[in-house]
Amino acid sequence: MGDGNQVPFRPPQLKLKPRMIIILILVVIFAAMGVSSLYMVDQTEEAVILRLGKYDRIAAPGLHYKMPFGIEKNYNVPTQVIQNMSFGFRTEKSGVETIYSRNDYPEESVMLTGDLNIVDVEWIIQYRIDDPVAWLFNVENREKTIRDISQSTLNRLVGDRKIFDVIGKERVNIEESGQEQLNEVLKSYNLGIRVTTIKLRNIVPPVGAVQDSFEDVNKAQQDMNRLINEGKEAYNKEIPKARGEADKIIQEAYGYQAERVNQAEGDVARFNAVYDEYRKNKDITKSRLYIEMIEEVFSSDEKTDLIDKNLDNFLPLKNLQGGATR
Amino acid sequence: MNKKLTTVLLTVIVLAVILMMMGPFYILEEGQQAVVIRFGKIVDSEQDAGLKFKMPFVDNVVKYSDKILAWDGDAQRIPTKENLFIWVDTTARWKISDPAKFYASVTSYERAYGRLDEVIDSSVRTIISKNFLREAVRNSNLINNDEEEQEVPVEVTGVSGEETMQQELRDLADFSESKATFEEIKKGRLSLSNEIFYAAKKITPEYGIELIDIIIRQIRYSDDLTESVYNRMIKDRNQIAQAYRSFGEGKKAEWLGKLENEQKSVLSGAYKTSEEIKGKADAEATRIYSDSYSKDRDFFEFWRSIESYKKTLPKFSKTLTTDLEYFKYFNEKTPR
Repeated sequence: MGDGNQVPFRPPQLKLKPRMIIILILVVIFAAMGVSSLYMVDQTEEAVILRLGKYDRIAAPGLHYKMPFGIEKNYNVPTQVIQNMSFGFRTEKSGVETIYSRNDYPEESVMLTGDLNIVDVEWIIQYRIDDPVAWLFNVENREKTIRDISQSTLNRLVGDRKIFDVIGKERVNIEESGQEQLNEVLKSYNLGIRVTTIKLRNIVPPVGAVQDSFEDVNKAQQDMNRLINEGKEAYNKEIPKARGEADKIIQEAYGYQAERVNQAEGDVARFNAVYDEYRKNKDITKSRLYIEMIEEVFSSDEKTDLIDKNLDNFLPLKNLQGGATR
Repeated sequence: MNKKLTTVLLTVIVLAVILMMMGPFYILEEGQQAVVIRFGKIVDSEQDAGLKFKMPFVDNVVKYSDKILAWDGDAQRIPTKENLFIWVDTTARWKISDPAKFYASVTSYERAYGRLDEVIDSSVRTIISKNFLREAVRNSNLINNDEEEQEVPVEVTGVSGEETMQQELRDLADFSESKATFEEIKKGRLSLSNEIFYAAKKITPEYGIELIDIIIRQIRYSDDLTESVYNRMIKDRNQIAQAYRSFGEGKKAEWLGKLENEQKSVLSGAYKTSEEIKGKADAEATRIYSDSYSKDRDFFEFWRSIESYKKTLPKFSKTLTTDLEYFKYFNEKTPR
């Protein structure tokens, strides 16, 4: 810079006059001012501006100007974004098919229930920053604070309930009062966020033998129903059959009745008819009937022995023959 | 002339900047606080944000956070009053309330955390070991308010109907966990946390630290205790599973018994009815016969006999003598 005064040798292309240098410096300064005084705020954000370290204003989304050289500083805070936090599991990659980390986080998920059982609880919370100034300047380790309070709240709620209530009907209740209590505590720290959701995910007994035994109870319930249904099935199979059988027996009896009565009536009708005739001429009818009977009985037989009543000696021979010819 | 002026101006600006940086001003941002130390002695402390003055080159400014800070100790294995070992994991929030005292007594965050470890761990240990496990686990007696009986999942109606079955099953299985009343707690987790908090809170002001809260983040059984709790849970489930299965067996047997019973009673009932019907039929037939046949006993006997002969005689093997009435004419003509 000193050689600018005396000019013994000057290259014609570079005329390094001090004026030029000053202009150059000023340009650099202005450029630096421009760069350090313009800032952008995204649509999802709000910016908190500090002037000389002291809170001055909040800037809405857009391009803004601030005082340069760190006199004013801007902190952009994503106030519109719903943030997620998961406990007992981690999302590795979310997408159409979200991939969850295979790791377990027992230090988060293992809890004692009020009836002194152990249960594994996974849950998420969602929150939004609703006071960016408070969010920035009131609490150090913000994420950790939210995690800690969320965990302790859930632990306390689960610790107050029976394992089956935690798994079952108290679920919604835990979510609701969890959200309320979590907000209450975080508000007392003036953290500047609002928890919008607590959702319980898997609530299961400890993996392994314990979980198996819980599942076995479900299986046992299925078995129970199956057994009962088996009994019912056998009943339903046999009883209608037996009823049909009973009907059959009774119907047959009615058949017998009809048959028997009809037969009797038929017999009697015939008897009566014959009897009427018989009365008109008793002897003749009787003899006729007798002879007809003999005729009927013997006419069909091919071989009937006829012996004289005096030929007694024929009998033994006949006996032998009769046995053989039959 | 002009050149000289600008050179001077430049020098002034550079110097001013250097002075500003080294110099009498410093910026305290929101969420920060500072103590000003001059030759090792605290001369000032600042808690409000803004542009602050100090003596250049002489004063040393130490900045601390003015925000709420988190403390997270290691989980401790502590015996409860009934001598069950549990892991208690606590966390606390604190802030530097008096930066001067903080600088004087602990100076750095590391040492502050060391102090907090000692103070909080010992008060956690004291309070937890003085109380029963249930006081630390539960927060209220809510658990005993629940009057509802557990629904037993039976979908099918039994011989005795759904409701009685529910009752029977409930009596059979020992759903002790859902039925038993638990010992009342006197304090609960929040009050224990508060006791721990108050015990620790008394000590920390001497470090310039204000404790904001201490909370129990997690309580777990120690490993050997966990194992035995697992076993208890398994046994309990097994017992209930067994109850379901046996109940199913029982109900099945009941159905089969009912089957046997009804089958027999239906069939025997039918037999009874059929015999009655048949008896009536026989009686009817008998009446019909006797009504008619009694008109002439002799003819009836004759008629019935020859009807019967017609049926029975063809089956006999026959050897006739000429003696028969039928042959009387036959005999007459035969020479003797």
